[in-house]
Amino acid sequence: MGRDKHLPLTETVYYILLALHEPAHGYLILQKVEELSGGQVRMAAGTLYGAIENLIKLRFIEPVGSVGSRRKVYVITEAGRTVLSLDFERMSHMIETTRRIWNPDGRERNAEI
Amino acid sequence: MRKFKCFLNFDQEEKWLNHMARQGWEFVGKSICYHFQKAEPEDTRIKMDYRPFTRKADFEDYRALFEDSGWKHIQGSKSSGYQYFRKVSGQGSEDIFSDADSKAGRYKRLSKMWLSISVTYFPICVVLGTTGTFKPAALLNPEAFYLTPGLWEKTGSSFWRAFLFETPFALFRGLGIYLLPTVIILYLFFFFKANRQYKKMQGGNLIR
Repeated sequence: MGRDKHLPLTETVYYILLALHEPAHGYLILQKVEELSGGQVRMAAGTLYGAIENLIKLRFIEPVGSVGSRRKVYVITEAGRTVLSLDFERMSHMIETTRRIWNPDGRERNAEI
Repeated sequence: MRKFKCFLNFDQEEKWLNHMARQGWEFVGKSICYHFQKAEPEDTRIKMDYRPFTRKADFEDYRALFEDSGWKHIQGSKSSGYQYFRKVSGQGSEDIFSDADSKAGRYKRLSKMWLSISVTYFPICVVLGTTGTFKPAALLNPEAFYLTPGLWEKTGSSFWRAFLFETPFALFRGLGIYLLPTVIILYLFFFFKANRQYKKMQGGNLIR
C-alpha cells in the first residue's frame, strides 16, 4: 500500500496543522492547540518551537510575515493540507470500522457484524 | 562570584543553578565560568535548551514564544546554543518541553555540534601527522626541545637561568603539538556522551 510516509501524524502535529488553517504566531498556536484538543494537548514552548521548525523543513507550513517586530506568523501550505486530509481519512476509517464491530458504549451491536 | 563547573547533563546543570538561587546566588552570566550575583534566596525554576541560530529573526521569534509562555530568557546568545530560561509566571507549563522526544532533542543538537567541531579539526591533525610533526619518540629525549646554543655546557646560575627561561618554550615545543589531538579526543568524548544521552532519553515513555 503506497501510503504517505508521514502518516500517521502525531496528535500534536495534527492539531498544529489544523490550527494553522488560519495564520498564527507561536503562542497563538499553543493556545489554539489546547482549545482544539479540549484541553488535552498542552504543548510547552520548546516542544512547539521544535515542531514548527520540523514542519517548515517538511514544507507543511510556511512563515508569512510577522506581528510586531519579533513574532513570526505561520500558515499551512498546500502540502500540509494534503497530509492533514490524508490523516483525517485514515482516522475516519478507524472510527467507522471500530463502530461497526465494537461499540465503546458497551451496547451490543452483534447484529451488524 | 565566579564558579567554574563543567556539565555534560542539562538536568544536573539546571538543578545546580536552582540550588545556587536558593542559596541567594542569582545566575547572571556565563563565560568560561558561571557568574553569580548576591540576591535574595529564591525558589527558581531554570530550564535549559540547546539551540544555535543562524538568523537573528529566528532567535527573536524563539525568545518571544518562550516569553509569551511565561519563560524569561536569562542567558544565551544567537550562536552560543546554550539557552537558559527562568519561569516567571504562575500559569503555564512546568517545563519548557512537553514530551520526551523534544526533551531528548536538545542532546541530539548538542552532539551534532561536538561532532562537527571535531571533524573540522581533524584535517589539521592529519596534516601535522603526515608531515611528521608528531614524534612520540622525541618525548623520551626532552633535551632536544631546548634550542639555546651551548645550554648543556653551561654551569651554575647561568645554566639555571637559561634553563628555566627556556622551559616554558620547550614544554610548548614538546607537548603543544599534542594539544590538538587531545582536544579532538575530548570533543569526540563530549559527542559520544551527548549522543548516548539522546538515545537513552528518546522515546522513553512513548509507545511506537
